[in-house]
Amino acid sequence: MIKVKNLKKAFIQGQARTQVLKGVDLQVEEGEFVAIMGPSGSGKSTLLQLLGGLDIPTEGDILINQNNLSEMTEKERTIFRRKYIGFIFQNYQLLPTLNVEENIAFPLHADGSLTMEKHRFILELLDSVGLKELGRKRANLLSGGQQQRVAIARALVNTPSVLLADEPTGNLDRNKAEEILGLISRFNRENNQTIIMVTHDIFAAGFADRIILFKDGVIDQVISRKDDDYAKYVANFMA
Amino acid sequence: MIMLNMWRISWLNITQNKKRFFISLLGIILGIAFVTSMLIADKTTNDVFEYYEQMYVANADYWVLSDEHTYSEDVVTSVLTSSAVTETLLALDKQAFFELEGDQSLNQRSVRITGVNDQNSSLLKLPVIEGSLDNEGLVIPDVVANLLNKEVGDTIRFADLGEAKVSAIVEYTQLLASPSDWEGAEQKSFRIMAPLDLLRDWTGMDNELSYVRFQTNNEGEKLFQSLQEEFRNSNVYVQPVVADDRQSNDIGGLYTFFYLIAGLSMFISGFIVFNMIYTSVMERKKEFAIMKSFGYLQRSVSRLILIEVILLALIGAAIGVPIGVWLGDMFMQTLLSVFEFDMVYTLNWQIPILTAVVIGVLFPVVFSLFPIYNAGKTSVLLTLKMADQTHSSKSRYIFRAVLGAGLLIFAFIDHPVSYLAILASIILLFPFLLLGVNRIFKPILKLFFGYSGSLAAKNLTQQLNRNANTSAILAVGIAVILLLSAVIESAPEGYENEIRNTYGGDLRVTSEAAWSNQDKAKLLAYDSIANVEPLTEATPITWETIDGEKRQFSIFAVDKEGPILFDRSEKEKSYNELTKEPSILLGERAFDEWGGNVGEYIYINTPSGKQQFEVLDVVKTSNYSGYVAFMDEHHLNNEFGWANSFDMLLTLNDGYTGEQLRDQLWLDYSNHLSKVETVEDEIKSTTSALTGMNELILIMLVLIIGLASIGTANTLLMNTLERTSEIGTIRALGLTKQQVKKMIIGEGLLIGLSGVIGGIISGMVLLYVTSQSKLLAGFISFQIPLGNIILALIAGVSLSLFASWISSATASKISIISSLKEG
Repeated sequence: MIKVKNLKKAFIQGQARTQVLKGVDLQVEEGEFVAIMGPSGSGKSTLLQLLGGLDIPTEGDILINQNNLSEMTEKERTIFRRKYIGFIFQNYQLLPTLNVEENIAFPLHADGSLTMEKHRFILELLDSVGLKELGRKRANLLSGGQQQRVAIARALVNTPSVLLADEPTGNLDRNKAEEILGLISRFNRENNQTIIMVTHDIFAAGFADRIILFKDGVIDQVISRKDDDYAKYVANFMA
Repeated sequence: MIMLNMWRISWLNITQNKKRFFISLLGIILGIAFVTSMLIADKTTNDVFEYYEQMYVANADYWVLSDEHTYSEDVVTSVLTSSAVTETLLALDKQAFFELEGDQSLNQRSVRITGVNDQNSSLLKLPVIEGSLDNEGLVIPDVVANLLNKEVGDTIRFADLGEAKVSAIVEYTQLLASPSDWEGAEQKSFRIMAPLDLLRDWTGMDNELSYVRFQTNNEGEKLFQSLQEEFRNSNVYVQPVVADDRQSNDIGGLYTFFYLIAGLSMFISGFIVFNMIYTSVMERKKEFAIMKSFGYLQRSVSRLILIEVILLALIGAAIGVPIGVWLGDMFMQTLLSVFEFDMVYTLNWQIPILTAVVIGVLFPVVFSLFPIYNAGKTSVLLTLKMADQTHSSKSRYIFRAVLGAGLLIFAFIDHPVSYLAILASIILLFPFLLLGVNRIFKPILKLFFGYSGSLAAKNLTQQLNRNANTSAILAVGIAVILLLSAVIESAPEGYENEIRNTYGGDLRVTSEAAWSNQDKAKLLAYDSIANVEPLTEATPITWETIDGEKRQFSIFAVDKEGPILFDRSEKEKSYNELTKEPSILLGERAFDEWGGNVGEYIYINTPSGKQQFEVLDVVKTSNYSGYVAFMDEHHLNNEFGWANSFDMLLTLNDGYTGEQLRDQLWLDYSNHLSKVETVEDEIKSTTSALTGMNELILIMLVLIIGLASIGTANTLLMNTLERTSEIGTIRALGLTKQQVKKMIIGEGLLIGLSGVIGGIISGMVLLYVTSQSKLLAGFISFQIPLGNIILALIAGVSLSLFASWISSATASKISIISSLKEG
């Protein structure tokens, strides 16, 4: 379970101070798939970065499975991230010198926890993302959709309890996007992983259980996908 | 205004990344500083020697000498009374011994006293430090005053002669060049000056002279010719006074050595600049594409980069040149102390600074020509589409490998150009060596650095050409310095062999009187002496270079059955020809200085007047480091006009040493012996400077590796900055700052190790080629300079580690969030 309490984040550049998050309170249950939407600059990506421990809040607490990220050192946050959090980026962020298998295995290598069993798991993951035959291929030689599937496999390789996705389908066409979102929600269901996804796309948000609408650094609305007219509401909000 | 704006934009561009700017600038500064220091040291050395030569010559135009030790003053009446002569200086040389209370040997106490009739003559230049030139007391150099602990007014006693007070202490001057310690006194006599009358009183050599120096008016040349005629069949001869000290120093040749190092450092600096500008151009391709899409011409874009390079070079020159002046000063001090020259100098900096600034600005521009051109050629469409234009193709690597391997063939061609070809081959083949080293060291890196080590090995292939070039530069630096140090280490052995082969015996004894047959018989009666051979040396003899410049050297008489004074291998034929007509053989340095070809004629002022002799051949000899000539004994006695031998070459029986015999000789011949030199003395004095040189070489080795490491730091920084997004990703995926640091350090370590390994291998190849070269005729043997290899390994690896630490600090501080945005 993720608990966010009175989360604030300000960026200071020279004399200027920009308050990006102005006090966010949020609770995400284990196994829940949450989409965060909002206009550019509303603070949704900053929230994701704070949840992933990539940055520290100016104020407030982030508790993931009762571990308070705000109280951790930089090194503790890094180790926590590689053990419990998976990342999927909009630009895939695969490492060009490594092949597909090596890219997927990266978090395990970083942790020094790659075993034969884990290697078999990597092959299973490759199979499940439909890239069984491409394990030895250089990652930068794959298509956009294939690269994002590798990125998903990489995010899942350490079986994280939380998966954070930042515009995972932002660079893909509708068909590829559907394929990728299908994969993400499948893992969410099968592994009971908590997923928080930042997106601009209503179609992508439609895969989530809840949609959190961000505006000016605070949560404006929380909508359940079960609401019949959620799509219309979100579209109006985004407009 | 527009131009000013361009300079401002260029300044902002080059300083955009402070660390990269600083490292590149440091590379340029060091390169320019090295070049400046070498140029200054070279010019200053020339000035120093010229100054001391001029001091030795003073205002004298000619001098009358004798092929006997002394001659009667009456002989030179025509000189002393000539209306063409404006000033004269009469001098008498006498060998003596200090009377001291210490336990110094006779050899150590040996002193040559020059008696002059006027210590204040303008034909003498004595740089007085203390006291005055009063023509009553002794004039001694400061080193002698320090060693004997004497001051002005103190008395110095001479065995069997008398005593006199010191009236003046002078700085170093060639005329009174003396050893500064008792160890040096074993090989070289002290020299002091006394009033002529006093010396004549002490020695009883009334009316005797060793030489007369004189200054002439515009009738001088006429007088010279008439004196040559007058003295033709006498024991005296007239010579112009020539400023030429090449017989006693060979420091000029040394600078080839140091210019090589300065060139190398400029080359490394150039590469650092290339790296910076090339990376900067690649990073800004989009910027150039946008500029071009708005109508900028190829020329305008190239000019922008050119201004950046010039700006960088100018800043480098502004800082590097003053540092170079300081380095040049340090270098001069070290060099003069290595060669034990007790000289004072004034830095000659004007022309060297100007030259250094021109080189310092031109070199970076030349090295940046490709990126400057590349920037202008930026394709708008391809760049805006973000197409990869920099990826090296496989065919390029194949071309590089084939060309590199092809150039290696030069290793079997005995020509100076082969060295350049081998170095070029090393640079071309380096990517493959880097890959090899990478493969070998990957498991070791993994063992020590964990997964960061594996990543480092993989990353190295990402910018293979750049990383390989960086390694190659380090390798070339190490290879050249190792070769130089091996040459320096091996040279003493080469010199020793050459000296032993051409010295002519085990001892050379010099007398103030010509050796008689009785002397020879007496010497042969010594148990220790196996053979005695007279050695005839005509000196000083002036001659003309092919350009008509006056020079001065010695001519030795040689005889087929006599002592071996030059390398006779394959020279038998030319030796035989020496006996036919009056002709000459020149030592290598004399031949180079003369500037003519074998078969041409050299003009020499002989005691029988000016004559021309055919140069039959060039010979290798250790005598006066090759600044010498050889003539058939018979022709030297007759046509040339030199009759007497003041030197004897002694060959010892087995089991005896020159040291044992030396004191006995001084005792037995104390009335006319002036010098006893063993072959060991000659070897020691020739090779001792080389030992000092090795220390200089070691310092340069570390400096060159340091400079190359700046190149490594520069490359790693480029690699790091180019991979900001990638480093952000791996940090986001859970690699700690420490692991990122280890990764970059691993990359630097691999570059450094490859450079060191490649440098050692290349150095060995160059050394082997040198040792096999007929150009050096076996002078250099193939000896592995183990000490310097270890130093290169330690310095190379540790400085590379330091260089990579600089970049690793940058890499670990990369902000994850902003780097992910870049991706």
